[in-house]
Amino acid sequence: MSCVVVKTWMPREESSLAAILADARVWKLKDASAAPARPVWSTGLSSLDARLPGGGWPTASLIEVLVDETGLGEVQLFLPALVACQRSTQGSREAPWLVWIAPPHEPYAPALAQQGIELGRLLVVRPNTATEALWAAEQALSSGVCAAVLLWLKGTDDRWLRRLKLAAEAGGSLGVLFRPERHRFESSPANLRMVMSRGEHEARLDLLKVQGGRPGPVDLGAP
Amino acid sequence: MKSRTADLFAAAEYRPAESALSAVGRAGALPASIPVVPPAPLSRAPHIPAPQTPPHTRSRPHSRQLWYAAVFPEMAREASAALLQQLCLHAQTFTSFVSIEPPNALLLEIKGSVRLFGSLPRLHADIDACWRQLALPAQSATAPSTLAALWLARAGDPLQIEDIEALPGHLAKVPLACTAWDDELLQTLRAMGVTRLGELMRLPRAGLARRLHPARVQDLDIALARQSAPRRAFVPRERFRERCDFDTEIEHVAYLEKALEPLIERCAQFLLKRQAGVQALQLRLRHRTAPPTRVPLGLASITSERRRLSDVLCQKLTRLELKAPVRGMELISGPLRGLPASSLDAFAGLTRAGSRDSAPQLVERLRARLGEEAVYGVCLNPEHRPEAAWRRVHDLRLTAAPKVEEGMIDQDMPRPVWLLNEPLPLPEPEILQGPERIESGWWDGKGVARDYYVASKSHGIRLWVFQERHSKRWFVHGVFA
Repeated sequence: MSCVVVKTWMPREESSLAAILADARVWKLKDASAAPARPVWSTGLSSLDARLPGGGWPTASLIEVLVDETGLGEVQLFLPALVACQRSTQGSREAPWLVWIAPPHEPYAPALAQQGIELGRLLVVRPNTATEALWAAEQALSSGVCAAVLLWLKGTDDRWLRRLKLAAEAGGSLGVLFRPERHRFESSPANLRMVMSRGEHEARLDLLKVQGGRPGPVDLGAP
Repeated sequence: MKSRTADLFAAAEYRPAESALSAVGRAGALPASIPVVPPAPLSRAPHIPAPQTPPHTRSRPHSRQLWYAAVFPEMAREASAALLQQLCLHAQTFTSFVSIEPPNALLLEIKGSVRLFGSLPRLHADIDACWRQLALPAQSATAPSTLAALWLARAGDPLQIEDIEALPGHLAKVPLACTAWDDELLQTLRAMGVTRLGELMRLPRAGLARRLHPARVQDLDIALARQSAPRRAFVPRERFRERCDFDTEIEHVAYLEKALEPLIERCAQFLLKRQAGVQALQLRLRHRTAPPTRVPLGLASITSERRRLSDVLCQKLTRLELKAPVRGMELISGPLRGLPASSLDAFAGLTRAGSRDSAPQLVERLRARLGEEAVYGVCLNPEHRPEAAWRRVHDLRLTAAPKVEEGMIDQDMPRPVWLLNEPLPLPEPEILQGPERIESGWWDGKGVARDYYVASKSHGIRLWVFQERHSKRWFVHGVFA
């Protein structure tokens, strides 16, 4: 992306390219993706951080993880970020909440505490239907008191995903949606999409869609 | 002594027996700037100088208290208690101190409200207008003492007396019947030829106390503002309860929500006035024949906010299936609680950009729709058995800062993110890490003796498995997600 858009530029003999680029009237296309405006939370994996714009999970956005079976470390990808966002605002105001909606099993408190998650600020929601789960996720995302909302779903349409994304943007929270891999070829408004599947030894992670980044497989084995 | 005028007599003769009480009463009756000199008791020792001027000739002593009395002569005796309480709520618009005087009167302490409302005549007229608006015939009077105001009001004299000095003169004209003393006593007095308070005040104090009752003499002292008579302020009832009946039967929940709005509005007003909040509410929907539908609702924290109340109520209503058309409804609050200090922070909502809710609000909205049990937290349990090392928390501490029990977290041993409700049997797995021996709980019949391992199922899936030490069987207990 080396395209330079120049709106009004009067050529002068002594002007170099650096001087032109310093002109405030020159809008550089490259900047749009290189410097994300929102803060990011590190994933805890340097190989994954390097692939994400800004070097971590974007906040105020919707991340979609397509995973067929649990046990691949799909939650582990987000735990460092959850801890970081709970810790980042401590002291100044009360720690933000984490909401887990319809997890496939019981979240095991000792494991989460071991990772550093503040259990007093974790809510587990067990809705009866997918619609209720989506509704709860939308409420939690847009409330502004939740740093992150993790949602497990069997299936949904992209209209709901769009609502979730808007809610995440409105509330400034991170929305993570786990759903089966068969939704891989459906369109999705999520900012970040990835597939987790079984690999040779480790689980495989494929980035399907990265806003401002490059999709492709990620090597999870690297520290 | 007996040849004095009523006023002078009153000053000398009606000095109460307990001079200490009198001193208190009089101190209360004088403006703060004038040095308070207790009235000289008759047995004053000669070396104490007497006050330069008798108290009643000092510069116009305005009373510290000013009582407005309203008597409702047409009020039915049986309905009066409830009605008077209702009227108290109205009267609290004018002053915070309202006291019920059975059977049919109210006393309002209005000294502090005079400046707020402009002047005494104006305040007096405003309160009178309040009764007129309610279509209640009332007689009123204002005086520096409780009983004086009450007696003057009963006499039907709309007087506004601010000056204690003027009190005996005005009271002298009041018929004795207005004192509401018992009939026998009044009969005796009438037989003695005493029909007005003035005539009574002219009688010697000691004789009066002997012939009538010491309490009646005390009443006179109270009426003349020589003695204070504490009144109990009306404290409004501690629950909000209001009903509204519909002209037509309502069959759709959407209309109910509309009808509920004014009720919630009034409930929020009710709470706001009392600086209180509720944590529970009940909505009763009344049907023609069926028993009323009760919709209980709990809030995650004590609140008085209208938006939160209506939010939760509407969520509840949308889930409700009406079994019969609704003829009316009633909103009943739980016991009132003091509002936590944090809710008084006017800028609390401004600290975060785009924040719309608070955590309690979110939780109660979720609970209102999904059910109480569907939203919970988790916490650690000091236990070695993995299944007992955690528990659900339904009673969420939403505002208090959470505490992390550092000692309870074992950093060395791997723990999975998911724990299965029941361990599942498994063929012998491929071990990655372990063992960790957990042997505990022999005392409560759920003893475990297990060796825990981290195992790999296939190509990247990691499980938390254990082998029972006695049976040597393998189970999966958790998943490292």
